Amino acid sequence: MPPLRPASRRLRRPALIAGLVVAALAFSGCSAATTTPAATGAADAGTITVTHARGESEVPAQAKRVVVLEPVALDASVALGVIPVGAAVLNEAAGIPAYLGKAASGIQSVGTVTEPNVEKIAALKPDLIIGTESRHSALYDQLSSVAPTVFLASQADPWKDNVKLVGKALGLADQADTLLAGYDARCDEVKAQFAVEGKTAQLIRPRDGLLTVYGPESFAGSTLECVGFTTPARDWQNSISVDLSPEKVLEASADLVVVTTTNVDDPTTMPEAITANPSSFPDVHLVDQSYWITGVGPMGGLKVLDDIESILRDAQ
Amino acid sequence: MTSHPTRRFVLFVAGACVLIALLVVLSLVVGANTVAPTMLLDTLAGRGTEESRFILLDQRVPRTAAALVVGAGLGGAGALIQAITRNPLADPGILGVNAGAAAAVAVAIVFLGAASPGQYVWFAYAGAFVLTVAVFLLGSAGPRRADPLTLTFAGLAVGAVLSGLTTGLTLTNPDAFERMLGWSAGSLLGRGFDVTTPVLLPLAVGIALALAIGPALNAMALGDDVATGQGVSVPRTRLLAVVAITLLAGTATAVAGPISFVGLMMPHVVRWIVGVDHRRIIAGSIVAAPVLVLASDIVGRLVALPAEMPVGIVTAFVGAPVLVLLVRRNRRVTGL
Repeated sequence: MPPLRPASRRLRRPALIAGLVVAALAFSGCSAATTTPAATGAADAGTITVTHARGESEVPAQAKRVVVLEPVALDASVALGVIPVGAAVLNEAAGIPAYLGKAASGIQSVGTVTEPNVEKIAALKPDLIIGTESRHSALYDQLSSVAPTVFLASQADPWKDNVKLVGKALGLADQADTLLAGYDARCDEVKAQFAVEGKTAQLIRPRDGLLTVYGPESFAGSTLECVGFTTPARDWQNSISVDLSPEKVLEASADLVVVTTTNVDDPTTMPEAITANPSSFPDVHLVDQSYWITGVGPMGGLKVLDDIESILRDAQ
Repeated sequence: MTSHPTRRFVLFVAGACVLIALLVVLSLVVGANTVAPTMLLDTLAGRGTEESRFILLDQRVPRTAAALVVGAGLGGAGALIQAITRNPLADPGILGVNAGAAAAVAVAIVFLGAASPGQYVWFAYAGAFVLTVAVFLLGSAGPRRADPLTLTFAGLAVGAVLSGLTTGLTLTNPDAFERMLGWSAGSLLGRGFDVTTPVLLPLAVGIALALAIGPALNAMALGDDVATGQGVSVPRTRLLAVVAITLLAGTATAVAGPISFVGLMMPHVVRWIVGVDHRRIIAGSIVAAPVLVLASDIVGRLVALPAEMPVGIVTAFVGAPVLVLLVRRNRRVTGL
């Protein structure tokens, strides 16, 4: 099989949490929380200069009609309270991921993340477009003629850096930092609550009969590490994940194993390789692929942390 | 040149059977995970560890069976399709069987949420069947009733439309695209007995039909008029051949997804060795093709560690050079 693309994904499944960010900030005792979201609108504050993968761009200081072409930009914008008017989606059949909550459900789809539709984007009359150099490089000039366009360098970059850049582009850099601090605080909180130091955890995504194991550099893999788990050591081949033959399933065993699925309530989605080796996989849980794999961003991160917390709590 | 055709045929079949037996053993011993032979014997005897039982009984045994089923289907379908289209480059894909099966699987994944090979099987059959009927009806319309060229064109046309449909469906749905990727490369991973058992009957019927129409195909090789003069019903033979091709190619595709080159190449190899008698080519291809599929699957387990390479990719790698070599060495027999 050819090596996988770093993060091909899919999205769905309901779960409403618009106030989650604020809640998490309050949780962590961060007093700045009160000023968090909302593109306060009103006063037109002119423009700001944003440095990004394609150089510098003049963008509105408080963009109101934003189109995002990358999942992390969508998650971050919604988390910052700037609901985009349009978003490229991973899966047109599923549309805007449900985990982003009600506020995001009205966002228009402008094609897929790999092939956004410039005409649909133009029709929305955006005042800011956020895309990704590694995916949308060829579209930059076209997009720029529609609206000021800011490009993230790559979806494979550390997600927090991408969230910060989205924050800058929206004129909400401080708020983005606050969101990330909220995520870190939530990590610490879960970490303090359960003593998992020294325990290993492995995230597995079953795919085409193979098992894709995710490493510490991956989005959810790093979230497992932030609460104190260690990912079992292996040669990650400079990638966020590695494909395993089912014959090598025992290499994926760990104290805690989480397996992604599109339906957490359907136990038959657990791969046979794992169910056939129960003594090597004593603690296995199905988790929702829509945010564990594709929900890159502060909102998805908090959802992952919620899952980890409830798994650990149930184990007590 | 055909000094002892019968002896050559018997030797060929015997050789293929010996090779299959050796490869079956190899297939149980070799895999992505190295398991000691003593452990394998223990496992066969009902002991072993949880892991060794999973590897041997849940992985290697069923995929070995699947390789044999897929090989027999592809070999038989390839020999038949080359016989009735009189086209040495014909492959089961040429009647659109694969395109029909793929479109049905895409529909099943996108609209019905099918997610595992066991669920794809019947859709693939249905797709292959509906498509073959459509192609046959289309190819039978008009004055030149179901002649090879018309059938081929009808298959290409309908196949192209369906491939477009499949691409359209999967492009807007990357999830389906991803699942189709594994299926459309042709893989034996996860093809348990739940997949192979139900296809045994269609496979057996297909093989029986294929062997039964061998003599009629021999007569038709001399021309439709000659065949008719000998009392062979040309339209009936073509119809039976198409049914057999659907059953055989449909079985292979339903189990593994579309696998290229096997159905194209093996009948050439067989024809080169056993001569031009269609009965022998068909029977020979049915026993010889599993050798290639099984060997390719074993290779695929070892070349992409710690992952695996789908068997369909390996057969293309192995098949293409072998085919070129055959064509160069033996223009006369391949007819190219």
